[in-house]
Amino acid sequence: MIKKILIVDDSPIARKMLKSCLPKDQGFEFEEACNGQEGFEKYKSISPDLTFMDLTMPVMTGYEAIEEIIKYDKNALIIVVTADVQLKAIKTVLDSGAYMVLRKPLKKEDLQVALLKAQDTLQQVE
Amino acid sequence: MMETHEEQIFTSEELEILQEIMNIAFGKSAADLADVIDTHVVLNVPFIDIMQVTDLPSYILNYVKDYRNISIVEQNFWGRFKGDALLVFSSGSGKELITMLQHGENTSLESDPIEILERETLMEVGNIIIGACVGKLAELLKDVVTYTPPMIILERFYNDAISENHFDPDKTAIVLKTDFSFTEGNVSGFLFLITSNDSIQWMKEALRVFIAQYE
Repeated sequence: MIKKILIVDDSPIARKMLKSCLPKDQGFEFEEACNGQEGFEKYKSISPDLTFMDLTMPVMTGYEAIEEIIKYDKNALIIVVTADVQLKAIKTVLDSGAYMVLRKPLKKEDLQVALLKAQDTLQQVE
Repeated sequence: MMETHEEQIFTSEELEILQEIMNIAFGKSAADLADVIDTHVVLNVPFIDIMQVTDLPSYILNYVKDYRNISIVEQNFWGRFKGDALLVFSSGSGKELITMLQHGENTSLESDPIEILERETLMEVGNIIIGACVGKLAELLKDVVTYTPPMIILERFYNDAISENHFDPDKTAIVLKTDFSFTEGNVSGFLFLITSNDSIQWMKEALRVFIAQYE
């Protein structure tokens, strides 16, 4: 079951938009980080079931954070939520081990489909 | 606590929304450009500054002073969101882009002087970047904009490229700035979207409508 969700994005508005698209009745526990470095540190301390990761961030980019997280936990479930929808960007993060890429601005339906898939994957791993 | 100039015009939440919308809009530009040129456009976090128009030339200089020369592609746009888009390229970007577009092969005709090719290439690339970015920004804010054809200033020293009287001195400039570089090819630059106080009331309402979808 997905319970703990980590949202890594430098924009507080983007984090708010993402949370608003998630179902309210699932009892998710949220943790937030505003750059890749903080995201990686929080990942290590809370071991989230699912991580949402932006790519363009100061201090440490999402590309670098994904690599660090996957090195630390090869089963990490990371959904990239980004405005950078270049094919090379998408390929790079998927090659690095990201689970899926969603484009900004987020649509509620896309996020809910992604959540169901992530839920299935997590159950298979468990 | 003293408010900054930005906060006098926009609340901090409005600025954050605008910054996120700019991020999405520039992502669209980069993707459109990457479809044409086989490269990855590296994006940096965009930000917003608000100032008197008379301060703009020195503000822009501060960002491009490390470039020997600059080339500028400029387009005006108007809808309810209206203003001026300035895409500033580093020295040599035109020639570099020609090479990248030709995938390293020199297929240009002998009769095409390099300066004409450079102009056309920069205008085309500029048109893609500005059109995608401004268009997406307008779309997200439920507006439609029209553009003037791109104008170009090629490889000039900064002071000759942007004069003090380039902008209307009575206006306030809302500068949405982002910088970019390419992973392959020595091309980098800045995109400045300069809109004025005429657009502020509309923009505040459009930002409110945008974020209301996520309340």
